[in-house]
Amino acid sequence: MSIYKSAIDNPVTTILVYVAVVIIGVFAFLQLPVDRFPQMDPPYITVMTTYPGASASEVEANVTKLVENSLNSVDNLKRLTSTSKDNYSTVLLEMEWGSELDEAMNDIRSYVDMLKDNLPSGCTNPYIFKFNSSAAPVIVYSVTADDSYAGLDKIMNDVVVPQLNRVDGIGNISVSGAPERYVYIDVDQNKLDAFGIPLESIGTAVSANNLNVSGGVVKMTREQYNLQIRSEYVLSREIEDIVVTTTPSGQKVFVKDVASVRDTIKDLSLDEKINGRDGVRMRISKQTGANTVKICRDVRKEIETLKHNLPSDIDIRVLFDTSEDIENSINSLEESILYALLFVVLVVFLFLGKWRATFIIGITIPIALIVGFIYLWFVGSSINIISLCSLTVAIGMVVDDAIVVLENISKHIDRGSSPREAAIYATNEVWISVIATTLVIAAVFIPLTMLKGMAGVLFKELGWIVTIVVSTSTVVAITLTPMLASKMLKPRKVSVDEKGRLVEGKQNKDWYENSVVRVLDKIDDWYANLLRFCLRNKAGTLIVALLLFLGSLVFVINGSIGTDFMQQTDNSRISINIELQNGTKIEQTLLTARALEGRIRELVPELERIATTAGTNDASGVSAIFNNTTNNTISMTVVCVKKNERKRSIFDIAEVLREEIAKYPEIVRYQCVVSSGFGGGGSGASTVNVEIYGYDFDATNIVAGEVSEAIRARVEGARDIKIGRDKDRPELNVVIDKEKVSSLGLSSSTVSTYIRNRVSGLTVGYLKEDGDEYPIVLRLQEENRNSLSDIMDLTIPTPAGGRVKLGEVATVEEYFAPPKIDRKSRQRYISISVTPYKVSLGDLAAQISTVMEDINMPNGITYVLSGDYEEQQESFGNMALLLFLVLMLVYVVMASQFGSFSKPAIIMLAIPFAVTGVIIALLITKTSLDLIGALGLIMLTGIVVKNGIVLVDYINLMRDRGYELGEAIALSGRSRLRPVLMTALTTLLGMLPMALSTGEGSEMWHPMGVVVIGGLLVSTLITLIVVPVFYAVLSRHGERDKEEKQRKEYIFMKLNPDAEPIKQ
Amino acid sequence: MKAVFIVFNQANTARVEFMLDELKIAGFTLFEEVQGRGSNGGVPHRGTHAWPEMNSALMTVVEDEKVDELLLTVRKLDMRNKEVGVRAFVWNIEKEV
Repeated sequence: MSIYKSAIDNPVTTILVYVAVVIIGVFAFLQLPVDRFPQMDPPYITVMTTYPGASASEVEANVTKLVENSLNSVDNLKRLTSTSKDNYSTVLLEMEWGSELDEAMNDIRSYVDMLKDNLPSGCTNPYIFKFNSSAAPVIVYSVTADDSYAGLDKIMNDVVVPQLNRVDGIGNISVSGAPERYVYIDVDQNKLDAFGIPLESIGTAVSANNLNVSGGVVKMTREQYNLQIRSEYVLSREIEDIVVTTTPSGQKVFVKDVASVRDTIKDLSLDEKINGRDGVRMRISKQTGANTVKICRDVRKEIETLKHNLPSDIDIRVLFDTSEDIENSINSLEESILYALLFVVLVVFLFLGKWRATFIIGITIPIALIVGFIYLWFVGSSINIISLCSLTVAIGMVVDDAIVVLENISKHIDRGSSPREAAIYATNEVWISVIATTLVIAAVFIPLTMLKGMAGVLFKELGWIVTIVVSTSTVVAITLTPMLASKMLKPRKVSVDEKGRLVEGKQNKDWYENSVVRVLDKIDDWYANLLRFCLRNKAGTLIVALLLFLGSLVFVINGSIGTDFMQQTDNSRISINIELQNGTKIEQTLLTARALEGRIRELVPELERIATTAGTNDASGVSAIFNNTTNNTISMTVVCVKKNERKRSIFDIAEVLREEIAKYPEIVRYQCVVSSGFGGGGSGASTVNVEIYGYDFDATNIVAGEVSEAIRARVEGARDIKIGRDKDRPELNVVIDKEKVSSLGLSSSTVSTYIRNRVSGLTVGYLKEDGDEYPIVLRLQEENRNSLSDIMDLTIPTPAGGRVKLGEVATVEEYFAPPKIDRKSRQRYISISVTPYKVSLGDLAAQISTVMEDINMPNGITYVLSGDYEEQQESFGNMALLLFLVLMLVYVVMASQFGSFSKPAIIMLAIPFAVTGVIIALLITKTSLDLIGALGLIMLTGIVVKNGIVLVDYINLMRDRGYELGEAIALSGRSRLRPVLMTALTTLLGMLPMALSTGEGSEMWHPMGVVVIGGLLVSTLITLIVVPVFYAVLSRHGERDKEEKQRKEYIFMKLNPDAEPIKQ
Repeated sequence: MKAVFIVFNQANTARVEFMLDELKIAGFTLFEEVQGRGSNGGVPHRGTHAWPEMNSALMTVVEDEKVDELLLTVRKLDMRNKEVGVRAFVWNIEKEV
């Protein structure tokens, strides 16, 4: 008993099986989390080692090199890069995407264990950690305040963060830029010198008066008391009245005599301005596997309730919400799916003209898609861009099988069978070829699941979903479709008239028969005539087709079609990174930042919000020069309104900003990065990187400078040219005269402590309030430590009680040092990254490589083009391999289906014309071919071939029924035109929303829509002609006459039964 | 009109069809996969593990004058290989619509 017969005989079971599937699917759908991409761990592992006191080049030679050498043989290692800074060595291992990271961690740990003994003493144990994608914030808030600004830190930590922590699935909440309360004692050195007391004695006095001690137990006659001595400061004012010392004349010297006490917030070095107001940033990350959209929704709700408990001047606003992007992308994709559904159903209705038939076919779509959700639920994935796109891709294909089956059933019913028998016979006729076409689709999509690298991560889910959904649709097409057809389709009406004659049911010619059917019939006739004409002029037809194909190739050769890794997506956000002259004071940096903010407000009317951070959270003052601070950097996030609410693209806006920033003379370097492309969270734009390898710093610096100048000057469309090596950092170096200090009873160590106390400050205790402790910091007031001469003028106390100026025992030198050393593949390198603007990544790389040819590379210096361009090359290589594999598999499936080696070749002839269509479509829409487009091309091989199968299968059938070759071809062409057009149109219209959508994140999938529509359109039109003609060319010699040949071998007719048997 | 019932080893199916084509006999009804046992020796055709072979049977209704030619041809076919045999039986057609 065949599956379709069982289904027809047990309609209740059949229906209930699918109802069960739908219920499970809906259940699965409701459980599915919503996320941007499928869960994937970026394969990065970092090994960090601290070597205190070593300079960058010492760290490089003694630590980084050793770590690199031992880790170079880790399995699955793709790339090894490292950064050596003062005190720190960081080695970054990039593993192959999709490799088992825990295993790699173990490997690395054992290598590091072996290495430990060889590291210099004083080195800490190397620390290994892997990058975790869920550590990235899912939502970032800006909290701004006016009056409450000083207390913001406490409000955040005591009220906001604890309440938000209650939200389910929340990972970590970090607050940056919050003002911390500090009590500063700013000492005037001149007054200090006048009284002749060292700075340290103020510290001693302040800390000596700030303590709580237990004084023992006092036993009275009946009671017992604990004796407590409480002399801690309750108010910061008390510090002013502490007596530091008493002068010989008996005069008391109070703290307020030599210093001023400020109970304030920590000195400015990180400045957060949001829309120009003081504020902090709150970053909230989620736990692994949690539902981003749900968390963000809960957090937003929680914040709303929180607002009532906060002072009224505190304003909490969303700065960056990943769920917004996700929801927008998901919504626009859901819209695409709905449109695709609508189009597909309309096409089916147009061709069949019957509501019942349309319903039977339409019902396949939700069932097949729901099974896709069950798969997602089963493997623990989520509703994300990839899975929804896969469903959009599948929609056009899931109805194909049902169409073929139903069309055949209708034909049988028209011939007079009862619906039940028609369903059985008709399904029997086509079910093998329906399964074969599904196998072809599987042959295309299953290899996708085997791809390696980033493409593999992206397309694995796509491969499985499409395969599963299309397979489900086939199962539905051979069970539910015939079952429903047997119950719902009506047999042809016949009746007997009064004279006993049979009367056919009235063929009432409705609007449908009159309009659509007439047009379709005309198209059928026209096509059959065209086909006959072409069959008479085979050579001419093939030559025209060949010319068309070669003609389109010209555009590829002359480079009219650019290549990209991924399309840049417009997500309304620009990140601006600005670097001022090294050593610029934070206050100066802020001036520039404020000026720029103002200009941006004028230049970008589309602006929604702007957030600025300047400097980093470090100590301030002259120590900025001693430490590795970045007080000279500004980073801004400019967020514009949604892309369909503005005319200019975000790339154009970024270009305007670039032009503006270029006008500021104090700005040394800047980038306006439109964070886009793969990775979502903000991995930055796609770039072409020029990596210059060489040991000599100066030489490579010079080359890098030349290269970036040349690119700036000669490559149009090169933007945000960024040299990866920081400029040498100016440092002030205090050189202590050891002989002089020893004669004064000092040493380098004591002198350096004194300098540190005066410049950076000395924490002399804590002010306690409401259970929180606030540091009390003692140091010189700003005017006494802010210039080179001030430093020389520092007063250093001597053990003998005397004083000496720093300038007398030391000199201060200014010099430059490389702040960090980058290495890749165990060689020093500088990377210059270039972002394309209105040019494709492939073109940009080509232009850069011509520029590079003219650059004179000194001996020992080499260069490589890398970055996303490298990723692109790699992925395209993978895709080419995949295409080959897919073609082979498709051939195998078809050859076994037709039992012939040549027939598949005929059908696959359609593929080159698909390429022609793709080229034309890309040219018209001015789209560059990227990874997703290449994927579309691979998918096309399957889709295009499906049409051919239907056609060739029918030609074979007609020839078996004895029609002459040419007639068989023309007849089958005519008969198969509608199903072919119908399946092609459903697939095409299913993709149309994807190609036309302007929603958020739609850029990414746009090329696939364009490629598939273009390819399918051209290849369908051309293959309807070329495939039959080519069939005619190849099939001349009557390989269908096998039976004839065999018959000729029958000799028994010549036997004579009456003849004498031959004697042995 | 006579009905000719031809029973034959499955292996002869193509040859029987060929024979009918040669004799210009268009109509027939074919029973595929039928079991049988001969009266005059030969192995049973039962489709079992012990007797795996199967027969097919064909009934054709022909004009009286064609019957002899048909039977002769069946004999010829049978002679070709006695092991892969073929038998034919003829009876009268009483009425037809």
